[in-house]
Amino acid sequence: MMPGHIVRFAIAIVAFAILARLPVGLDPAFQFDAALAVIWGFGILSLVLLTGYAGQVSLCQATFAGVAAYGAGMTVAGMHGGYLLGIIIGVLAATVLGVIVGLPALRLHGITLAIVTLGIALVFDKYVFQDHIFDWFTGGTGGWQVTQASLFGIPVDSSKHLLTAYDVMLALFCMVAVLMVNLHQSGAGRRFRAIRDSELAASTMGVNLARYKLLAFALSASIAGMGGSFYPLIAGSVSPQPFWVFTSLQLAAIGVLMGVRYVPAAALGGLFMAVVPDVLTRYGHGTFMNRFNYDISYDWFQLAVGVLLVLQLILLPDGVWGDIRAKALRAWDVVRMKPREEVRPA
Amino acid sequence: MTQFAAYTIIGLSLGGIFALAALGIVLIYRVTGVLNFAHGAMGMFSTFVAWQVFYGTPHTGMAPWMVTAEAIGAGLLFAVVLGLVLELAVFRWVRNRPQITKAVITIGVLLALQSAASLIWKNNQYHLPIYLAPQTSTFKIADVPIGANYVVIVIVALGLAFGLAAFLRGTAFGRAMRAVSDDPTAASLWGVRVDMVGAVSWMLGSLIAAVAGILITPFINFDTTSLTLLIVDSLAAALIGGLVSLPMTVLGGFLLGLLETYPTMWIQSLGLPRLIALLVILAVLILRSPRGLPAVAK
Repeated sequence: MMPGHIVRFAIAIVAFAILARLPVGLDPAFQFDAALAVIWGFGILSLVLLTGYAGQVSLCQATFAGVAAYGAGMTVAGMHGGYLLGIIIGVLAATVLGVIVGLPALRLHGITLAIVTLGIALVFDKYVFQDHIFDWFTGGTGGWQVTQASLFGIPVDSSKHLLTAYDVMLALFCMVAVLMVNLHQSGAGRRFRAIRDSELAASTMGVNLARYKLLAFALSASIAGMGGSFYPLIAGSVSPQPFWVFTSLQLAAIGVLMGVRYVPAAALGGLFMAVVPDVLTRYGHGTFMNRFNYDISYDWFQLAVGVLLVLQLILLPDGVWGDIRAKALRAWDVVRMKPREEVRPA
Repeated sequence: MTQFAAYTIIGLSLGGIFALAALGIVLIYRVTGVLNFAHGAMGMFSTFVAWQVFYGTPHTGMAPWMVTAEAIGAGLLFAVVLGLVLELAVFRWVRNRPQITKAVITIGVLLALQSAASLIWKNNQYHLPIYLAPQTSTFKIADVPIGANYVVIVIVALGLAFGLAAFLRGTAFGRAMRAVSDDPTAASLWGVRVDMVGAVSWMLGSLIAAVAGILITPFINFDTTSLTLLIVDSLAAALIGGLVSLPMTVLGGFLLGLLETYPTMWIQSLGLPRLIALLVILAVLILRSPRGLPAVAK
C-alpha cells in the first residue's frame, strides 16, 4: 500500500463514520431520504466514471438503476431468492444492459451518443417498465413488493430496519468511491482519460478503444445498478416512476452541476437530489411574515436544477465541487507561500 | 385496405408533426451548432400558452375562427419571444464552447421549462384540442374518409418546409444564415451580423416547434411531459436528414410517422412507437454515417 491509498482509505472511513451518524434519530421519512441519497449517489458516481473519466455521455443512468431494481425485485419477490442474490442479479442485469448500450457507443460519441442514450431511457421508461409483455420482469402494474428481507442474516427492510440498510449501502458506496479514486490513477483510468481527451490519439497510442469503452459502460452500469438494486429494499416495492426518463436527465444535470470529474461530487449530488425535494414538499408551503403565502412543490426543485445547470455551465464549467476544490487548492498554496499554479490535473 | 389507408393518413399526419419539429432542430443546429434537446419543451410551453388563451380566457362576442386565430397568434408570439430570450440570455454566451456542453445546457433548459409548465398547468392530461379546420368536415378519396385536420397538418408541414427552403435560398437573410452555418468567422468578416442570425434562427426554430405542438393537440391526450418527450421522435426524423438536409428531414418525419403508426394496426402499446424511434435512430447513426455527423458551425 502506498501512502496515497492509506490516506484515501482513512478519508473513506471518516466519511462513513460521519455520514452513518447523520440520519440517526431523525424521523423515518428523513431516514428514507438518506437511503435514497445513497442510491442517487451511486447513480452520479456511475456518471463520474463514464463521463468524468472516460468522456462518454449518457442520459440513461436511471435506466441502469431501474433495471437493477426490477432485477432485484424479481429475484426476491418473484422467485423467492435471498436479497443478496437479488442484488447480484440486479447488478448483473444492469451490467449486461451497460454492455448492450456500450455497443453502439463504439461508433458514436458526443451528441449522437446523448441522443441514443436518451432514446434508450425513454424506451425503458415507456415500454419495458410499463408494457404488459414485460410483466415477468416488472411484476405487472403493481410492481414487486419486498417486505421481509435480510442480508447475511441481519434483517434489513424498509419498515423497521431502514438504518441498517442505509449503513450497508453507505459502506458499499464508500468502498466503491475509494476504488473509483484508485481507478483514476491506474492503468485503466489513464486509458479512460486518454479516450476522453482524444479517441483518435488514444487509439494511436495503442489503447484498445472497443475494450475500454465497453469496460467503462459495463462498470458504470454496474455502479448505477448497485444503487438501484437496493431500491426495492428501502422503498418496499418497485415502480417505474423513480426511474423514468426525467430521473436520468436529472442525474446527468446534477452530476454536471456538482462536478462530473470528481468522486465527492457524487455524494454531494446524491444528497442534493434526495433531500432537497423532500424538504421542499414538506416545509415548502406556509406563510412568510404572516402575509405572503408560498407553496414550493417538487417542480420547483427541477426548475432550480435546470436553471442552476445553465448558470453553472456558463459561469463555473468545472462544477460546484470542482470550483470549491480549485479555491481550496489555491488557498492551500497561499498558506504554504508557494507560487500560484494555474491548473492542477484532476 | 380501407383500414390500411386510414392508418396511412394518421401516420402521414403524425409524420408531418415530426417533420415540423425536426425542421426547427435542424435549423438551430445548422446555424448555431446547438443540438436542442429542449425543442420539445419549447414547443410544449408555447402550445400551453395557446391552449390557455383558447380555453382559459373569456371570448365574448367573438367568432370561433377569431378565437382560434387569437390563441394561435398568442402561442406563436410567445414562441418567438421565448426563442429570442433563450438566445440572448443563454446561448449567445456559450457560442465558442464545445458542442456537447451546449447540448447539456439545453437539457437544463428542458428541465426548467418542463417543471415551470407543470407548475402552471399541473400534471393533468388535457384533451382540449385546437382545431384549425372544422372537425366534421371530411372528404373522400376512393371511399376512404379523410379528416380535414389531417390534411391541414400535411399541408402546413410541406408548406413550412418549402417556405423555409425558399427563405434560405432566395433571400439575403437566408443566404446570411447559410453563410453562418458554413463558417461563422468567415461570415462575420463578410459583414454578416452573426448575433442577429443566431437570434433569428432561435426565433424561427421556436416558432416552428410551436406550430408542431399546436397541430398535434387534436390527436393525443397531452400533458407537459408527453409533448416534451416528443423530442426523441423529432431527433430521429432530424437524424434521417443527417441534421443538415431540410428535404430529407421532412421525408424522414413522414417515414417515421408511418413506421410508428402501422404496427398499431396489430399491437396496442403506448411504448412501442418509442422503440421504433430508437431503432430508427440506431439504424441511421450506425449504418448511414460511419464518420459521424457532417461538420457544422462550432
